[in-house]
Amino acid sequence: MSAALREHRSSLLVAGLSSAFGVVLLSMIGAIDTAARADAVVGASDTASALLLVAASLFIGIALYVSAVVTANTVATIVAGRTRTIALLRLLGSSARRQRSAVTREGLGVGLIGAALGALAGEALHLLLVLVLRETGVLPPADYPLIAPVALLPVIAVVLTTWAAFRTGSRRVLAVRPMQALGAAVERSGEEVGRRPVRHGIAVVLVALGTLLLGGGVAAGLVSSFGVVIAFFGGILSFTGIVLAADLVMPPLLRLVGRAMARTATGRLAAENAVRSPERSARTTIGLVIGVALVTTFAVGLQSYIDMLARAQANDPAYYAGIDEAFAMTVAVFLVLIGFSAVIAAVGMADALSLSVLQRGRELGLLRALGFSKGQLRRMILAESAQLTVTASAFGVVLGIGYGWAGAQSLFGSIEGGGLVPPGIPWLLVLLVVIGTGALAAIAAVAPTRRAVRVTPIEALAAP
Amino acid sequence: MGASGSGKSTLMHIMAGLDSATSGRVWLGDTEITRLDDDQLTLLRRRRVGFVFQAFNLVPTLDVLGNIRLPFELDGREPNPDEAARIDRLVQTLGLEERLRHRPHELSGGQQQRVAIARALATQPDLILADEPTGNLDSRTGREVLAVLSAAARDYGQAIAMVTHDPVAASFADRIVFLADGRMVEERGRSSAEQISAIMLGMEAAR
Ligand SMILES: Nc1ncnc2c1ncn2[C@@H]1O[C@H](COP(=O)(O)OP(=O)(O)OP(=O)(O)O)[C@@H](O)[C@H]1O
Ligand SMILES: [Mg+2]
Repeated sequence: MSAALREHRSSLLVAGLSSAFGVVLLSMIGAIDTAARADAVVGASDTASALLLVAASLFIGIALYVSAVVTANTVATIVAGRTRTIALLRLLGSSARRQRSAVTREGLGVGLIGAALGALAGEALHLLLVLVLRETGVLPPADYPLIAPVALLPVIAVVLTTWAAFRTGSRRVLAVRPMQALGAAVERSGEEVGRRPVRHGIAVVLVALGTLLLGGGVAAGLVSSFGVVIAFFGGILSFTGIVLAADLVMPPLLRLVGRAMARTATGRLAAENAVRSPERSARTTIGLVIGVALVTTFAVGLQSYIDMLARAQANDPAYYAGIDEAFAMTVAVFLVLIGFSAVIAAVGMADALSLSVLQRGRELGLLRALGFSKGQLRRMILAESAQLTVTASAFGVVLGIGYGWAGAQSLFGSIEGGGLVPPGIPWLLVLLVVIGTGALAAIAAVAPTRRAVRVTPIEALAAP
Repeated sequence: MGASGSGKSTLMHIMAGLDSATSGRVWLGDTEITRLDDDQLTLLRRRRVGFVFQAFNLVPTLDVLGNIRLPFELDGREPNPDEAARIDRLVQTLGLEERLRHRPHELSGGQQQRVAIARALATQPDLILADEPTGNLDSRTGREVLAVLSAAARDYGQAIAMVTHDPVAASFADRIVFLADGRMVEERGRSSAEQISAIMLGMEAAR
């Protein structure tokens, strides 16, 4: 049980984080609503709180989506690591369906435990926040509800998405053949795992169509802010396409980055490890790509809008006076909310890295036996995680710049004095995101590296 | 040679500096390896010892040539002209020319073992340790691998210590050591497969 718990640690964390996020967000909206009702001047506004709820649902939805992708990928990695055990059980007569439903059941457990713990943490944080805000006078004194019933919804949603993510991630179980319990320990190659023409075909169509719509949205945006609706669908379609084709897109990018880093034997091995299985590298990185792309999209979109405003302001100073500060506030809140999804993505990525090191114990033992020093081993693992992280966040940033710009253009291109502007890129923030994810990956590599280095080569070689 | 659990693999691991002995001292040539720290042992494995295991000998991400050259890469250098010529010769004699760009999973078990042997021979180590190198192979491929090893001993004067259960494999050796319960119980010079089988049966009967 404890081994299973360790394997699912990150899925638990991801479920807990999203559940806590949902609870805090919805409870705080409840508190704000109460505060507004208590304040005679502001007064209650049903439209305002409904709007807040919609915005919150959007952010919770994004967080859930990211955590579902991350969890499904983690589960796929775990299943890959269990291949031999599953194959052995199949050999002894267990059915593939039974094996898979065992994994799915674990998912239900992880979802329930993670969501419950997250809900408790979120509730505690909510109570603390309300207390602090009331004491400091930010919120007016009033009877704040202890629990917002609506906050139960994201908790239930987390249980369901975690369960569904386990179901999706465990699809590989069905592909395990009993013979694999007997085979030599040489792993199957990426090519052998099989091409997926249908899936990739759909992906290409989606990307093409999405890009067209994005362009159309930008063009339409010059006339009316309804362009954003077109661009929105363009964004959804093209991004879904990229996620579907991640196993085609990521390896060449990884190779590109890897080539830049592969100066030594360790570097070259690390580069090869990162692309050894296109499916695995896609799995490991796509969550982070999504997270970074989301943050960058919002940041660039808002920055581009600010740039447009600045231009418009130059044309007509009186009309746009004072709009900056209000905007800066909104930007900050949005970034924090969306940044949370990036954190979830980074957690998933860190875990995928450490799992992949764990699963390669035998190979690392072989390298040690052949004369890899501890330092070389450590550098190899670090280089590998650096390569994955750098690639994922760079790709995410590029995508985010495109989407953010398209979003801003299609929504605000028609404002007076607006027109077509180059994308506004908040470089500091982009740098922070890249450094942040890099640091997380480096930290994530520490524990498995220690373990890999501590294990003697014979222990590692003897491992199944 | 020796029964299962008699300590053959353990002895190999200790001779290679992969495992440490609870007591006693281990020498490789003039070097007492029991005194070396981990970094020195790493260098020793890289430069002075070669390995051929029963299975899982090759790094899956590297092609055949990459695997053979790995010990040099780990040293951060290219093979010098002599070594390069040696590698070329090895690749030829082992029939791997057509396979240089293939990955381990594209090779048969016998081919994989031959690549491991080429890698072990490439650095001209003081000693090659082979733990049941034919254990996973069919008998014909196994014979081929043995022929390659004995040719290396004959032509290059390569010292090879090999663990085997197979009397025919042992008959290729110049010196045969028998282990039982972690101790050396018998030692012979070159012997025929029949003689070796007789000794093994005798050891079994004496238990
Ligand atoms: N000299 C020794 N002193 C104490 N314990 C020993 C000694 N030699 C071997 N052992 C122990 O005996 C066990 C089996 O040893 P080992 O794996 O070396 O056997 P083996 O001969 O390689 O068997 P197999 O033919 O099955 O591979 C190990 O647990 C090892 O620690
Ligand atoms: Mg053994």
